[in-house]
Amino acid sequence: MFEKSVITLALAVGLGAGLVPAVSADVVDDSFYPYRDGTPTSENLAVGMTINAANADQFKDILDPATYEQLKNGWWEMEVGDTTSFDLHPNYVEATRKGLGQVSLGEQLGQINGFVAGRPFPEQPSLDDPRAGEKLAWNYKYGYNWGDSAAIYPFYWRYRDLESGKIERTLKFNFHFLNYKHRVQHDPVPEFEDNPSDLFRAIYVQVLEPFDVKNTQLLIHRSSDDQTADNTWLYLGFQRRVRRLSSGQITDSFLGADIMIEDFEGYNGRISDMNWSYKGTKNIMLPFFNHNDLELATDLEESDGYQFVDFGGKGGCFPNITWQLRKVHVLESDPVDENHPISKRTHYVDAQTFTLPRTLIYDRKGDLWKSWLIGQAHPDHHLEKNKGTGVSIDDAFSMLDVQAGHCTTGQFKGQVDPKLNEVKIFTVQNMRAKGR
Amino acid sequence: MKFMLSQSRLDDVVPGERPRPLIKPLKGNPMRNKKMILGVLGSTAFMAGLGAGSVNAQDKQWDTAGFVENATFYRDGAGISKSRNTGQFEFSKDFGKKFGLSNFRVSGTLRGTYDAVYDINDNEYGKNAGGARSFENFGSTTAQALFGGNGDSPWGLSILGNGGAAAGNPIPPGFLYDVSSNPNAGLKVLGEDMHAPMAGVTIGVPVRPCDEDSRGCGLQDYMDFDTNDLRFPEFNDQLDFIRELYFEGSIPTGDMSEWFFRVGKQQVVWGRTDLFRVLDIINPVDYSRQNIYDELEDIRIPQWIASAEYRWGATETFDDLNLQLVWNFDEFRPNALGQGGTPYSILDAGSFFRAMNNCWENGCTVSNFVPAGAIGLDDPGLIAADFAPGVIGIRNVNLPSGHDQGGIKLEGVYNSVGFSLNYYHFYQQLPVLRGNIPSMNAFTGEVADWDHLIAFDIDFPEVDLFGGSLDFYVDSLKTVFRVETTYTQGEEFANTLQPDLYSESDVLRWVLGVDRNTFIPFLNKNRAFLISGQVFGQHLLDHELVSGPLGDIGMPDWEDNYTMTLLIKGWYKSDTISPQVIMAWDYEAGAGTIAPSVDWLISDSWRLVVGFNIKVGDSMEDQQFDDCRTCNPFPPFTASPAHADPMQSGSVGLSGIQPLGRFRSGPLGSASEEDEFQVTLRYRF
Repeated sequence: MFEKSVITLALAVGLGAGLVPAVSADVVDDSFYPYRDGTPTSENLAVGMTINAANADQFKDILDPATYEQLKNGWWEMEVGDTTSFDLHPNYVEATRKGLGQVSLGEQLGQINGFVAGRPFPEQPSLDDPRAGEKLAWNYKYGYNWGDSAAIYPFYWRYRDLESGKIERTLKFNFHFLNYKHRVQHDPVPEFEDNPSDLFRAIYVQVLEPFDVKNTQLLIHRSSDDQTADNTWLYLGFQRRVRRLSSGQITDSFLGADIMIEDFEGYNGRISDMNWSYKGTKNIMLPFFNHNDLELATDLEESDGYQFVDFGGKGGCFPNITWQLRKVHVLESDPVDENHPISKRTHYVDAQTFTLPRTLIYDRKGDLWKSWLIGQAHPDHHLEKNKGTGVSIDDAFSMLDVQAGHCTTGQFKGQVDPKLNEVKIFTVQNMRAKGR
Repeated sequence: MKFMLSQSRLDDVVPGERPRPLIKPLKGNPMRNKKMILGVLGSTAFMAGLGAGSVNAQDKQWDTAGFVENATFYRDGAGISKSRNTGQFEFSKDFGKKFGLSNFRVSGTLRGTYDAVYDINDNEYGKNAGGARSFENFGSTTAQALFGGNGDSPWGLSILGNGGAAAGNPIPPGFLYDVSSNPNAGLKVLGEDMHAPMAGVTIGVPVRPCDEDSRGCGLQDYMDFDTNDLRFPEFNDQLDFIRELYFEGSIPTGDMSEWFFRVGKQQVVWGRTDLFRVLDIINPVDYSRQNIYDELEDIRIPQWIASAEYRWGATETFDDLNLQLVWNFDEFRPNALGQGGTPYSILDAGSFFRAMNNCWENGCTVSNFVPAGAIGLDDPGLIAADFAPGVIGIRNVNLPSGHDQGGIKLEGVYNSVGFSLNYYHFYQQLPVLRGNIPSMNAFTGEVADWDHLIAFDIDFPEVDLFGGSLDFYVDSLKTVFRVETTYTQGEEFANTLQPDLYSESDVLRWVLGVDRNTFIPFLNKNRAFLISGQVFGQHLLDHELVSGPLGDIGMPDWEDNYTMTLLIKGWYKSDTISPQVIMAWDYEAGAGTIAPSVDWLISDSWRLVVGFNIKVGDSMEDQQFDDCRTCNPFPPFTASPAHADPMQSGSVGLSGIQPLGRFRSGPLGSASEEDEFQVTLRYRF
């Protein structure tokens, strides 16, 4: 009986494979496993070496402009690690395979047709495709990111002076993420049944410390319809009231940090809020590493022994991590809204995970304003519960305001754990209940 | 005449809630009080003990925080008006599953305050406040001749009263009182800090704490604070130092749905408005702390409340849906309005009440009360009168027992629009003066319930409130809109047309609020400013106002009024420096406030706030209303030439600033002389 079942399954898989054109399989594999045939190299670059002010010029071509300037200025030194594959969850890959060739852009910015789950446009982008940037943006939006749900629990932010290194403030949060639709791993798959506003995703944030912002909570509901504005609510502990936020507050400093809500996760807005341009694919150094192999911070140790990524360099603004040479799509976004506080972002999109580990943000005059770094940890070298989740773990961030000489750093305890992200916490009423 | 604090006026105009009756500070048996405190603390310890032994505790640590703070305010003309030293401690703990509830949690907030203003500025607000006062006899040639100067007569020496009697004139029994027990000391003239008498009525107000001067402190458990009660306002019989102490937990009924319970001393916040309240009426408010200007979080008076919520979460139709039942099983407590002689007495109501209670219990002098010609003098002016005890004034306060206030709220999100539907049954949190009590005819000595006589009890009528609210975001305008509206039945207002000087009116209130974040590049190119505006409206559906021979008669509250507020707030230096300006404007009163301040977060522990609170526009003296001098309560003795029938009581409309002008001035106009410089330093731990 058992053997018969196995045979039946093997037959079904074989038949299924036969229905998919071979070229399609290559497209998906090329997208998700770019290093299966080897890792990129660069002249003079070797694992274990350090890139610093003395040799930065040699590696200018594999560094984004801001990172190059920082290294050249001697603000910090980059330790080079192995290029490793961050395999996303097989269900996500399989969903991509199923949707291959069935997804297309709508006529207007922010419209997509035929998408069910997985990576919408796994094909290698082309400079000849005027909408290639938009497709990359969709790949990011529907990326595996934190999986179906995850929590950063807890999450420390520190406001630092670049020159003096003084830590001005330390905030402690819990962040929670939940996908309502396009789910691939945890029940319900592919989506929640009761979802009257057709939400795609929600983010819930709770501030734990310090006292003046304690009990502040943020809730973001993002519609499946990209052209529908996000609904965002803020609970202020000192008012004991939920306030709806305008988009002006989404593009403004969040709780005094160098980060705006729109910066969360690299970019936390709608596709339709930006004009997207694909600028090419190249190999550059990105902050990808194994958390457990790092020399970690000792000042914020958790009761379970978990230690956070440490920071150093000038002002303590730079994570003490290792970097890899990785395949990157360069993607630019400039706001549709003329009154937006920035003129553009340049995203260095990791081609394998479609995370945004490096983003450069330019002010309205076009000058570099902020350098945005989100370090990615391999899930199999992190918390035990994260092993095998196929989620590239956001593990450390630094938002450096190069004009103000100021930075905000973040230390994550990312947990891919559905129990921490019950759907009921992503409600306005939950904010009132959690508040005091 | 009827003087009533209009619920509508304060409730609508004042954002949060109305002033609360005073919390009776640990008066009485000290052992009893000590036992109560120990009992409560013991309960807390017991609950803590539960947590310590909890096997399922998710978090074995108590979450604690607190601060100590000094708030020192300087008032133009009065000196230090506040030197409040506060210590607050908050604690909570999640116990996990317990007592059949998921996420069982215990939370509490303790707060203690010592306001040193009663010690360091006791000439203004403490044991040495006030002094001897004289009362206006406007245009009286007789008074000019008798008293010299401007013709004002000392307390208790009025021509129609003790002064006339001393001169050998026959004075009716209702115009004499014992000055030896009700001396001319420790007094102010009602409204003297805001306006001159201007030919209107004024009364002497005892202004020292009740342990220093018990006059006007005869309303049991209402505006009867002694010095320590004022110094340490939380340490009272209601144990207000326990700001909050409640437990909560939920019972899941599905992936999305659950029952949620919270029971204990708590604040239950309805509504979506700032500064002034429309729906947020469950907890009364302590306006004596700093008028309308403190955060509602700090001035809501927590009540013992049980709430149960059924949360559907997302449904087929709604993104979020929740039904809340609220039962306030605590004893009734009105808003605290402050008392005569304290720095924050909203509408100066506390002074008026204290003056009137003294009138009832000990007698009092009232300026400009009678035309001199009415007592046979060849004199074109007005003269003051000394009223005997039991003629006019406030006799008693009838505080409802409470325990039966409650309501229901359906709240949710539909198609990205947040909404609520609300019903609440409660007692009016502002006092109303009902004139249907027996009192003495000043001319005959007969005791009866006289129509149109300014002799009152204070009451708090039952009110039914029906309301709703919305909030939504308009992307094209980058603006959030907030809307609230309520319709109440049962509220009572002053009304000089009515024999008992009050009447009931249904009231419609609404507010429209808009919030927008806007860059003002020349002020800050990197950080937007929050611009938040609100317009509050109030309409009295049963408003009564008629034109009399000498002025308007009826309800001093405006039939329609609008109050606008505007907040502009910016942030600098990682939000550690935040300047803001709050402006408020009462349309009918023609009065407003501008309150600029800078909030400096020196570190995670230290915070300094420096600001001004400046009043602009019309002041209290710009609003007058029928003061019931011509109400003819003792016909025919009190009839004026304007009374067509001298045997018929009722007002013909002679007006003055006091006492009803305050309802027209509102909380902004009646505080017109309270410009302040304010400094607050807080250390958090």
